[in-house]
Amino acid sequence: MRSEIILKNVNLDFPIYDVESLSIRNKISNFGKVIVNKTSTNKSGSRIVKGLKDINFNMNHGDRIALLGPNGSGKTTLLKLLAGIYSPTSGTLSKIGDTSCMLDIGFGFEQDATGYENIILSNITRGLSKDDIEKILPDIAEFSGLGEFLDMPFRTYSSGMQARLAFSSAIANTPDILLIDEFFSTGDIDFSEKSKKKVLKMMDNSSILVFASHDLELLDSICNKAICMHSGEIIFSGSTKEAIAQYKSIYE
Amino acid sequence: MKFLQNNLAVKDIIFSFKNFYSWSYLSYFDLKLKYRRTFLGPWWVVLGIAISATAMCFLWSTIFNLDWKSYLTYLFSGFIIWMWISQLVIDAPDIFCGSASKYIKAYPNPPIFYVFRKCFLSFLLFLHHIPLIILVTILVNQKINIIVIYTLPIGLFLIFINSILFTTIIGMVSARYRDIDPLVKSLMPPMLLLTPVLWKPEMLGEYHSYVYLNPFTHFVGIVRNDLIGLEFDLKIWIGAILITIFQLIIFFLLYSKKSKRIVFWV
Repeated sequence: MRSEIILKNVNLDFPIYDVESLSIRNKISNFGKVIVNKTSTNKSGSRIVKGLKDINFNMNHGDRIALLGPNGSGKTTLLKLLAGIYSPTSGTLSKIGDTSCMLDIGFGFEQDATGYENIILSNITRGLSKDDIEKILPDIAEFSGLGEFLDMPFRTYSSGMQARLAFSSAIANTPDILLIDEFFSTGDIDFSEKSKKKVLKMMDNSSILVFASHDLELLDSICNKAICMHSGEIIFSGSTKEAIAQYKSIYE
Repeated sequence: MKFLQNNLAVKDIIFSFKNFYSWSYLSYFDLKLKYRRTFLGPWWVVLGIAISATAMCFLWSTIFNLDWKSYLTYLFSGFIIWMWISQLVIDAPDIFCGSASKYIKAYPNPPIFYVFRKCFLSFLLFLHHIPLIILVTILVNQKINIIVIYTLPIGLFLIFINSILFTTIIGMVSARYRDIDPLVKSLMPPMLLLTPVLWKPEMLGEYHSYVYLNPFTHFVGIVRNDLIGLEFDLKIWIGAILITIFQLIIFFLLYSKKSKRIVFWV
């Protein structure tokens, strides 16, 4: 089966709820004002932040797409939209293929559970069965390099060790569509080299890859297409080389 | 049919049924973690309930001038079911804003997946109080209605379904409007006194039919009454089923329209 993602005029608005708009009292007092004054207050409840503006893009089988852009430009938002965590406010997103996302890789971990148990827990939350996990457990344990620490509670780990475990347990299955947010910053040099290699291998097996990173060299070596984003909009899309040149010309 | 297949609520419920293994395992593990590093484990809670219910039994049977033997099973079963239901209600506002919020933001499982996880955990907690009811029943040699082999599974199932519906509805509303949480938490303690858990409806004399206005009466009743040999009461069953239907409608309207917004609220 060929994987495919089509984005058509996709907009995504974030409602930002401040303390007032979350409370019913505010709603009621506004409601009262409408009746008494016959004018509705300007405070409709929440401010709107435009997360993504008018995104049009087709991703096909074999695409390795780099996502470029400064912090807050909408890279993670776009990845979360593709993953299905957010749904578009307007426009359509159609997607064919199993998706796996490595966005916030440490999710599903319990502080009091041991390393082994956390590998099982996080993968069960991802929908794998216990048998599948038992099969890949030795590989994950081996890859994490945590050895006997895997029998100890997660809360005793240092942040570097936590990152190692999070990464190792997130790479268990190979999906059709792989979405990755920048994460190589944690862990020591040895481990980030190892994890880069592992991700490269995973990328070979998946049919669509969307990869957000600030490591331009890495993006250049992996990706064959690129999207350059700025404040929620695609300002450039095309080959990786051109996109990187464009990105550098704006931000450097 | 097409409409049903595209309905978000239907889709997410089917997803949750298919992933029964995932959330039940997670619930089981939550239970395991809860009692890690304790010596008595889950039996602490059982012991706690046993102590407080026994104490209450002697106090109230004296105050109400009742035979303590028949009151013992009434109180134990009622109190244990009440603990289950009231804890569900108290926890409901927190379901999406609490520990599940980081899951909802990080992975595209439907929000109701985490409701199943939570409600199943509550059910498991309730299950290990069951031996206490059996023990007390044997102790005072209480007769049971034989119909209980049919009504007990149906009753437990109805409470479970309602816990899913209620937790989702209240969880969504309270994720958007944060007032619901303190409201629910302040309403639940007086509800214990208003529900026939410690007292029997017939003690109200001519006002006894008012107990049917309290939804908790129905859910405590459908599990308890046949278990301790009370007369089969059709009214509480009809009430429980009507509440279920009512909640189902609210759930479908709310969830299929707004479940995609939960991620922005938490």
